[in-house]
Amino acid sequence: MEKKEQKRHQHKHSGPKAQKKNRKKEQGTEQVQDERKRNPRAFSVQSAVRMAKTFHRTQDIKTKKHHIPLVDRTPLEPPPVVVVVIGPPKVGKSTLIRCLIKNYTRQKLSDICGPVTIVSGKKRRLTLIECNNDINSMIDLAKVADLVLMLIDASFGFEMETFEFLNICQVHGFPRVMGVLTHLDTFKNNKTLSKTKKRLKHRFWTEVYQGAKLFYLSGMVYGEYQTQEVKNLGRFISVMKFRPLVWRTSHPYVVADRMEDLTDPEAIRLNPKCDRTVSLYGYLRGTFLKNKCQVHIPGVGDFSVADVSFLPDPCPLPEVIKKRALNVKERLLYAPLAGVGGLVYDKDAVYIDMPSGHKCLFQEEVRPTTELVQSLIGTQATLDAKMAASKVSLFTGTAALTPEEVKQNPMESREWDENAQRERRRAVFADEDEKDDDEEEESDEEEEEEEEDEEDEDEEGLTKKVDEKAVETAAPPVKKQKIEEPMEMPAFADSDDELEKSEGEESEEEEGDEENEEMEEGEPAKRRSGPDSGLCSEEDDEDEEEDSDMDEDGDGIVKSKMSFKHPEEEKIDTEDAEMAYETAGALRWKEDLAQKASEAYLRHQLAAPNLRKLVYGTVAEEEEDSNDEEELGGLFKVSRPERSKKVRADAMDCSRFHPDSSHDWDQEEVRSSIRDCFVTGKWEEDKDAATLLKENDELYGDFEDLETGEVHKAKTGNKDKHYHVIFQKNKRLEKKRRLKERFDAQYDDGDATYFDDLKDEMQKQAELNRQEFEDVDDEVRVQYEGFRPGMYVRVEIPALPCEFVTNFDPHYPIVLGGLGPSEGNVGYLQMRLKKHRWHSRILKTRDPLILSLGWRRFQTIPLYYIEDHNGRHRLLKYTPEHMHCGATIWGPITPQGTGFLAVQTVGGIKANFRIAATGVVLDLDKSVTIVKKLKLIGYPYKIFKNTCFIQVGSPAESGVSP
Amino acid sequence: METQHVCVCFEGCSCFRQRLVLSTLSVKRVKIPNIRSKDDNLGLRDFEVSFIRLLDKHECNVQRSIGYYLEALLMLAPFVKTPLRAALKGVTNDPTDPSVDLLKVTAIPLMKKFGIDGDGLEIKVLKRGMAPAGGGEVLFTCPVRRSMKPVQLTEPGKIKRIRGTAFSVRVSPQMANRIVDSARSILNKFIPDIYIYTDHMKGASSGKSPGFGLTLVAETVNGTFLGAEVMSTPQGQGDPVLPEDLGRNCAKLLLEEIYRGGCVDSTNQSLALLYMTLGQQDVSKSLLGPLSPYT
Repeated sequence: MEKKEQKRHQHKHSGPKAQKKNRKKEQGTEQVQDERKRNPRAFSVQSAVRMAKTFHRTQDIKTKKHHIPLVDRTPLEPPPVVVVVIGPPKVGKSTLIRCLIKNYTRQKLSDICGPVTIVSGKKRRLTLIECNNDINSMIDLAKVADLVLMLIDASFGFEMETFEFLNICQVHGFPRVMGVLTHLDTFKNNKTLSKTKKRLKHRFWTEVYQGAKLFYLSGMVYGEYQTQEVKNLGRFISVMKFRPLVWRTSHPYVVADRMEDLTDPEAIRLNPKCDRTVSLYGYLRGTFLKNKCQVHIPGVGDFSVADVSFLPDPCPLPEVIKKRALNVKERLLYAPLAGVGGLVYDKDAVYIDMPSGHKCLFQEEVRPTTELVQSLIGTQATLDAKMAASKVSLFTGTAALTPEEVKQNPMESREWDENAQRERRRAVFADEDEKDDDEEEESDEEEEEEEEDEEDEDEEGLTKKVDEKAVETAAPPVKKQKIEEPMEMPAFADSDDELEKSEGEESEEEEGDEENEEMEEGEPAKRRSGPDSGLCSEEDDEDEEEDSDMDEDGDGIVKSKMSFKHPEEEKIDTEDAEMAYETAGALRWKEDLAQKASEAYLRHQLAAPNLRKLVYGTVAEEEEDSNDEEELGGLFKVSRPERSKKVRADAMDCSRFHPDSSHDWDQEEVRSSIRDCFVTGKWEEDKDAATLLKENDELYGDFEDLETGEVHKAKTGNKDKHYHVIFQKNKRLEKKRRLKERFDAQYDDGDATYFDDLKDEMQKQAELNRQEFEDVDDEVRVQYEGFRPGMYVRVEIPALPCEFVTNFDPHYPIVLGGLGPSEGNVGYLQMRLKKHRWHSRILKTRDPLILSLGWRRFQTIPLYYIEDHNGRHRLLKYTPEHMHCGATIWGPITPQGTGFLAVQTVGGIKANFRIAATGVVLDLDKSVTIVKKLKLIGYPYKIFKNTCFIQVGSPAESGVSP
Repeated sequence: METQHVCVCFEGCSCFRQRLVLSTLSVKRVKIPNIRSKDDNLGLRDFEVSFIRLLDKHECNVQRSIGYYLEALLMLAPFVKTPLRAALKGVTNDPTDPSVDLLKVTAIPLMKKFGIDGDGLEIKVLKRGMAPAGGGEVLFTCPVRRSMKPVQLTEPGKIKRIRGTAFSVRVSPQMANRIVDSARSILNKFIPDIYIYTDHMKGASSGKSPGFGLTLVAETVNGTFLGAEVMSTPQGQGDPVLPEDLGRNCAKLLLEEIYRGGCVDSTNQSLALLYMTLGQQDVSKSLLGPLSPYT
């Protein structure tokens, strides 16, 4: 976008045109000036009714714009916006993503595989995900999408997938939807083109909302969309605003963009179908994630998280915002599943991009001779031994491990080779084309059309990457198979170091050594799963530093992970301090008692346990006294003195509290200690009514809500002068503030409504939330509030079924949905349900149905019923055609008001509309009564004048099914 | 889809109510073995059994006063499904537990700060019943709130007035006046704005046992309520108290409470903390005095 100096428009100063304009201008201004004067009747009230109506209407429009104000909880550094690109096959989804990536980052990504995170602007990152045509993917992605780019083939018109997806979105909270028309170049006739555009636009509007944005991508140029159009689309995406959705703001979730299997390879060897331990990586979104919570992975199941840790952001926003645009270094791209960011996932192997400078080193290694491989093989060999043993053998033998040692278990190592090929390093790829072929096989047919182009692009892109890594030689990057280490193996950190060393970062060695030493001390520290990537080696460094820092701090932080995270930010620790102030404040005016009271206070402090430690478990100074602490249910630690343990376990359960420190309130001094707690007592200087009166008479009323920190400073008498200056300054500021307040109150109050007040309140709260933990270290902060959205987290999940790993396909999204405290339970749910009007058949009671509710997709058997006038729930055999009905299912407990949708089958593609029903959860009642109308057929056996007894056969005979 | 089989295990019967309440609120199972294993009288006492029943459905055992039950109800009431309306029968005032009057004057204003307000929120003493025989009746109603308002209770403010209730049942109505006089004699030195109501219940509304007591509450300019109370010893248990002593003791207790400071008085600390925990994710702050052992 070069800016050309354009010629400015020259106004005509003479000639007929100029005269005409001048005339017009003069007339116009005159008319406006005295129209009211000239024709007052035209401006008088013609009809009071009409006036009322117009007034009503304007007010209506104004009110319609209001949303219920919500507290702004978006973190300072929000997670990337999830942009889901959806559409029927062959509509150009991958092409669009590729174009967008190119637009934002100037990089080319050939194979769109899994989420791609890019920095799109100074304050925004995007995660682009392509949604394939599978209804499961559509459902999962609709739950996490912030923005949906809905691709529509204009030459064909709308397809069912589009409508299905829109309906899925509607149920799970509507994300922003932008339509994109493609294949517009197929229209030869201009008129039909514009007609089609208009028709599609209006149809789209009825589905989404009137005036929904629809983009037109006309024609392809060299297999890409036109740059200008993509740029426009990109601009729209980067300025879009999002309204928080209820479900998402109350549940944490992670869209995983990286997966690693941490299972012990030996266990897999013994039983290939054993449960796997997997770590998933991704940006945390939604709300705060607590360690040790339950997550649901759609399609896999519920799991409790073993460990959560946060990693340095792989795709950070620029640190300082100074310029107008991002420079090239800041336009980052992170897509580990697609191979960017250092890792390439293959069917059964993981590759790391290595700087090519070390190519020869690895090529030489046909046999494991270097330290790296030695240590790795050492790990394998000792896997069947105990942890401790393996540790010892490893650490004593980093250098001492010899091939003989390896040969001690020839069987194992051989089996190893056969069985788990992935653990072996594959031959180094010398040329690019081979890899390209591999990738192309995986990509869809669509790309085959453009294969030639892409190969070129590939090479370009890769070399670019290499350039970025600042590798001296221009040789193609070497790919090395990554070896997966079991978690919590101390060996792991070691191998990490080795890797870094082999990368030639000499500076790392020192740190590595340090760590080794620490390891040798026998401290099994939890570790990051692996070398992050080749790309962000700098971050690796940082991480290492952090890790070693952590180790130096002692094991307190690591250990404390098991303690309970309080969901609220109570700030109990400050209470102690504030308490001190409070007491001190009371002491200010009793000089003679000050000494005594301060002693008492100190005594109190000693007696009171450190609350922060108790609740959050972060303070790790005194781990020795842990014999007093018994852990309860993994949540609470009870710290109590040993002697009183027995007594207190059975103590009287009574909240009445008899203060032991009995002050003798008959004494005058004791009494005077609290005299200032009363309105009659002495006020602080700035709050004193007299002072205030002097300052400003009118302000007398609001002296009570003022707050300054002066009280406590008053104690430091030696800094009196300094204090005085500050005090004066503060006083001035205070006065200014009050004046402003008064001014605001006078002039703004006129149209300040309840709505505005509410909004103000919310804003204040948001500010407070932000401030509270602003300057707290991340490690500590995580302990308080959990992992906050926007962090890049690593979630370790044990006991995943092996199929998750064996059938892993990065084209299918992996979503980790956090569950609330009771959402892991199963129970009866009552819901309001309506058969979808486009679904061709009505639904039958007890026919299994697949529901998508909350994060979950599950199959269940619904009972349909309708509520009669007498409040009775009557069972229905079929859902009504066009009406809502009730449904009761046995399913996961989900909060009321959550929407759901039902499909009859998820496999295959049916011709007609797949969504069978939609609805909302109404109740979670465990004791619901549904009655069924029975027709009993029997025979009269005794007939009186007005009465007749009828013999009915057994229920089975009369058609009652249980 | 597996149900949570996490079970939190506690030993002994201390904090019995809190454990049950928190388990109810968090939908976690608790298991409390070894209750009074060293005691002669093994197992749950009547009042605890009665408490468990209360969590189901309301007759309060006379071993503990209604305050014992009411405290737990206060914790639960805003989070139940339908607005709560509980008529509790039993002992309204006794020396061990916070009385109904105290909860009425301190807990209710606190709950209002958390956004639980409206017409529904009320504690009403229909009949007074002193320990040991009881016979009182209290009506507690509470609306349901979906979410708690975050609070910023960091400035207790100055005390502007002191209110109180002196009550007497089945004793001379003069007792109440004597209590008031003695309490005022101490408090008048601090603030002139004192009003202590005398409440003499007669007939059916006076319960089954005689007794008297005083509840005092100090209100600050910022709307913080600090309370204190003293009850007469129940009939036939220990030495009787003089109403004058009682009034003075109560006034001193109030002063002690004021000395301890904070925006929430020591009886309600745990209630405030619980509400803060169960609120939205916003930051709540509150300034407490030294924590009481119960908290």
